[in-house]
Amino acid sequence: MQLEKPDLYGLAPDGRALRLRAARCGDCGELSFPVVNYGCPQCGAAPERCTEESLSGAATLLEFITIHGQVAPGIAPPIVVGEAELAPGLVEEVVLGVPEEELALGMRLQAVPVEIRRGDDTLIACRFVPKEGRT
Amino acid sequence: MTVTLKDLRPVHVIGVGMHRYQFPSDTPYIHMGLTALRAALADAGMEFPAIQAAHVGTTGCGMAAGRVMLRHIGSTGLAVQQIENASASGSFAFANACLEVASGLRDVALAIGVDKYGDQKRAVTKEGVNRLSDTSTIPLVKYALMCRTLAREKGLTAEDLATVGWKNHNNAATNPYAQFQKPRTLEQVLNSTRVAGDLTALQCTPRGEGAAAAIVVSEDAIRDLGLDRGRAIRVVSSTAGSEPLSRDREPGSIKAARNVALRTYAEAGITPRELDVVELHDAFSIEEILYTEAFGLCGPGEGHHFLREGRSAVDGDCAINTSGGLIAQGHPLGPTGIGQIHEIVRQLRGENGNRQRKNARIGMAHMIGLGSVAIAHVFRND
Repeated sequence: MQLEKPDLYGLAPDGRALRLRAARCGDCGELSFPVVNYGCPQCGAAPERCTEESLSGAATLLEFITIHGQVAPGIAPPIVVGEAELAPGLVEEVVLGVPEEELALGMRLQAVPVEIRRGDDTLIACRFVPKEGRT
Repeated sequence: MTVTLKDLRPVHVIGVGMHRYQFPSDTPYIHMGLTALRAALADAGMEFPAIQAAHVGTTGCGMAAGRVMLRHIGSTGLAVQQIENASASGSFAFANACLEVASGLRDVALAIGVDKYGDQKRAVTKEGVNRLSDTSTIPLVKYALMCRTLAREKGLTAEDLATVGWKNHNNAATNPYAQFQKPRTLEQVLNSTRVAGDLTALQCTPRGEGAAAAIVVSEDAIRDLGLDRGRAIRVVSSTAGSEPLSRDREPGSIKAARNVALRTYAEAGITPRELDVVELHDAFSIEEILYTEAFGLCGPGEGHHFLREGRSAVDGDCAINTSGGLIAQGHPLGPTGIGQIHEIVRQLRGENGNRQRKNARIGMAHMIGLGSVAIAHVFRND
């Protein structure tokens, strides 16, 4: 089965979690996400100065809300989104795989593969779910 | 060494005009644009051939809309330039018009914003960079997340957010150019359809179309064309920037807004306490609260208190969004920044009817565009 966004993540060896594809700049040493082909977003170094670095997909939940309305084409509300710290100082908006009631600030999350339908295709998307209780 | 607008020739707004903002319709953009332009010409006491250059802000009309529109009022051979900078398109068109007059290149320049509700295609979708969340470049979502953080950390309530919508809808109720002209109760705003987090539909800007125009002139033009010096409003600063690199959670648009406001005060030689009227980018209610703080109109974290105490009302410390703002006057993109200037100019002339701020002398129009970019102009009635 294909990944929805293979440029952002890949399956962990056990197939139950996702590893995130980040980049480390050889000039400023900063970590950025995702990997881009244009240069380091922190210091502007040329793209060849950046090397890919795999993140475990573990994250800390900083904030979350439910989107109730059709805020953009292709978005099917309600969906729960949040801000999560993927690595120290590296905060990204993520899609959460559980309702608001099951979330709490500061909670540890894990990026996991979830099957979604896209037309006739089934793809593997990335959702973040509470890490506690997962084995 | 660089100079600011105040170091150059004085620039004055001599005429403003609008076509009412409205929900998407079959009205041709040419009709809307020329309605605003003819109103601005009448306001200025000037004929179209006096205009030497036109700066056209639009996002949804397509390539080269300026000449297609303006040839229906006269092919005078004037210079025409089209500017797209998302929500700030009109503001940047105005900045260019001011710069032309201030530099001495022209004596009379037009800034006109006109828009239809277009395909809303954003360059960020062609960046070729995926995101973990497909809403991560949508400002509404970023602000809705921030509302939750501010609720926890600063005591911001859902009622505070709704109060911005309530104030601005009621300001717009007597504005003949506003898309919404209906007084609302706090409960109606609070209980309207939820969009994201605690933000409801009546606290969010609507989709729309419309037009706004402003004519700027030099001192020479006022004298040579016999214009009414008493109705001219001086543009004392014109300042633009974009968001700086940051890894904290404050939205980049707020940082850009703050930086540009502080720079424009310095360029204008004023402090925020001197501002009588401000039009700002309240696409979502939380923005007005955050920009009130960022502009130094109140202390950090005090924006919702400033609002609760009525200090942003027409008769408050500083009247904010007397037009109804983006929430209620509307936000057709291309015209929006010039529509702000229309309101400020009328306030500073004392021509704003029952939305008039008493003795208004200094005002600021401050706009944000996707990216984020920020731009501000300070105006003064001399």
